[in-house]
Amino acid sequence: MPRYELALILKQMQRPETAAALRRTVETLMERGALVRDLENLGERQLPYRMTKHNQRHSRGTYFLVDFYAAPSMLSSVMDHLHRDVDVVRPTVLKKDAQVPNSNCCGPQK
Amino acid sequence: MLCLRELQRWKPVLCRYGNTGVRSFAVAADEAGRTEGGLVNMENPYREPQKGCVLCDVTVDFKNIQLLSQFISPHTGRIYGRHITGLCGRKQKEVSKAIKKAQSMGFMSVTHKHPQFMKDPNICGIKHLD
Repeated sequence: MPRYELALILKQMQRPETAAALRRTVETLMERGALVRDLENLGERQLPYRMTKHNQRHSRGTYFLVDFYAAPSMLSSVMDHLHRDVDVVRPTVLKKDAQVPNSNCCGPQK
Repeated sequence: MLCLRELQRWKPVLCRYGNTGVRSFAVAADEAGRTEGGLVNMENPYREPQKGCVLCDVTVDFKNIQLLSQFISPHTGRIYGRHITGLCGRKQKEVSKAIKKAQSMGFMSVTHKHPQFMKDPNICGIKHLD
């Protein structure tokens, strides 16, 4: 199964609510047959620009990164669910490509 | 039009005689690679190793906004061109794509550079007036 990465920005909430939102997201993924590989917390920081979502203006948020294996057909339903979730400010799913070897870049001989 | 036609006719005539004024540099060499006069067939000993660009061994990631912020203008947030960054074709494209990705995903600002990264070393060849 191809490997995807979900860059999730959650709105500024207390710790138990953030945990609940994360739990909901991961359960959504697992319900649709995804295999969650890794969950990273990139910290709570000020957003680079103010984002309006669900009739709210957000200026701070918590960044999370979810690595998972999934079938391509279930991605649209996952994104639909995430867009409807009030606690999620911005969900983005990216495909994770295999690393291209850097050995022949510019041909340096160091 | 007419002169072009004439030139086309003259061209083969000029080429037929060849470069009589230039001497040919092909010299007969023996088995050991030595030639008359002591010339040895070897690669250029003064050849400098090929220089790579700054990001030759560095993986460019959209999460690494500190690295990406080094290639944008601090005043306007615009991405610097190849003639300013000095990167090779591949890395310039990767950096550019990563910056656009980070901006759309909400990791990096579009209109300015994060104040935290203002004191970073300047790797682009651009000098700001202030």
